[in-house]
Amino acid sequence: MEQDGRRLFLMTCIGGVAAVTAGAVAYPVISYLAPRKGKDNSASVTIPEKELPPDGAKFFQYHGKAAVIVRKKDGSVTALSAVCTHLGCIVQWEAKKGEFICPCHGGQFSAEGKVLGGPPPKPLEQLKATVANGVITIG
Amino acid sequence: MTLVRKLYDWVEVRLGISEVIEKEMTGYLLPRTINNWYSLGSVLLFAFTLQVISGILLLIYYVPDADKAFKSVSVIMNEIPFGWLIRLCHAVGSNLMVATLFLHMFSVLFMGSYKKPRELQWVSGFTLLNLVMGISLTGYLLPWSQLSFWATTVATNSVGAIPVIGEYLVEFVRGGKLVGPPTLGRFFAVHVAVLPLVIAGLIGAHLFFLKRTGISAPPTRNDPATTTRQGSSYHYDKHEGGIPFFPNFFLHDMTSVSIYMACLLGVVFFSPYLFFTPDSFVPANPFQTPAHIKPEWYFLANYQILKIFPSEIIGLTVQGAGMTFIALLPFVDRGDGRYPLKRPLFMVCSLGGIAMFIALSIWGHLS
Repeated sequence: MEQDGRRLFLMTCIGGVAAVTAGAVAYPVISYLAPRKGKDNSASVTIPEKELPPDGAKFFQYHGKAAVIVRKKDGSVTALSAVCTHLGCIVQWEAKKGEFICPCHGGQFSAEGKVLGGPPPKPLEQLKATVANGVITIG
Repeated sequence: MTLVRKLYDWVEVRLGISEVIEKEMTGYLLPRTINNWYSLGSVLLFAFTLQVISGILLLIYYVPDADKAFKSVSVIMNEIPFGWLIRLCHAVGSNLMVATLFLHMFSVLFMGSYKKPRELQWVSGFTLLNLVMGISLTGYLLPWSQLSFWATTVATNSVGAIPVIGEYLVEFVRGGKLVGPPTLGRFFAVHVAVLPLVIAGLIGAHLFFLKRTGISAPPTRNDPATTTRQGSSYHYDKHEGGIPFFPNFFLHDMTSVSIYMACLLGVVFFSPYLFFTPDSFVPANPFQTPAHIKPEWYFLANYQILKIFPSEIIGLTVQGAGMTFIALLPFVDRGDGRYPLKRPLFMVCSLGGIAMFIALSIWGHLS
């Protein structure tokens, strides 16, 4: 009985030391491998209005993801996430049709981001965009 | 506990794992007189594994491009969380691994364990020592610091002393007339792919030889003057009545591994730049040779020998002859006795050799 108690005590001690050692190794390794934090994610992106052609689109990075601004036929500007809501491919702007096409599986979106056809389950995410003094501010 | 037992039983039915454990662990008997020096092989296996793991982790952020290598190492050291720890474990670990290899070799040497039938273990072990020094040399260039650049320039330059083909060999090793971006590409490939594979293969062969011959018993004063191993048939050293590898000797192994880790982390935390000189922190500049460039401590004796002799080729020949003699030692020293104090000539030669190595290293460091 005493033998069993001693054995259990020693096994518990060894298990505890092993667990602490594993934690001491895992913490730095996981920290080392974790994705590095980018620049301030709350920052907004500014783009000169002249860089956006009429009926055209401009793609850019926003908070680490692809985004796009589009000038619609009425001259207003819309900012959208360029990530297709189906499987995450980046949509392409079709200027002639005035809509977005996803090359991966043929998803179609309007210039406002609404689903027009294909497999995407929901619209493209809308981003806040304001135009002032010839500068488009997203975010 | 029941789940673990069920899992064990499931594996047991399919693989007969208890038979393997019995044969390789609890039933693998070692001599009762075995000492801690015998655990240095396990320490080296652990050290090599640590080098491989830390090396793979470094590969995630290191960029093997002459324009970016130094910056990437700086980023690892200063910006990546715990990057300094991984890099220092790798850099300090390489030095400690060479030191442990030397200790392992000396213990085998003084216990006469290189003698028949363990000649192949000695030759493979000595080759491993040289390969580890080679992998350390190639890794030295990768940070692309002034120290890396010029130490590699000096080291590769000595190959040029070989008659006829020397000049071509230097160019071949460097990938150009001088050390430059092509050298980095070559050294990187050799350091992260070629040598680790060769070393891993040779470690496998080394362990295979050990398993086939059986471990040697430490020599004692009362050993018979002649070996009982006569004739040419295969024989395995069984050590009937010895201690099991697991758990008995495994605990010795773990103790030695813990001491190794204490030394490694002691240097990493309390003297992290022990193996770095100020030139390690300056990016490589091919137009500015720093003063007093020295190789790593384990190459200092070779470096000093090259300086002593008036001709580089004589220095290289002397070193080559010395290395060949050590590699072929079991075929030269074929006497039966293994107890060191009963081998005065051997003791004088080996202690003299070690003293000379240390003296040359100190001389090389101070000169």
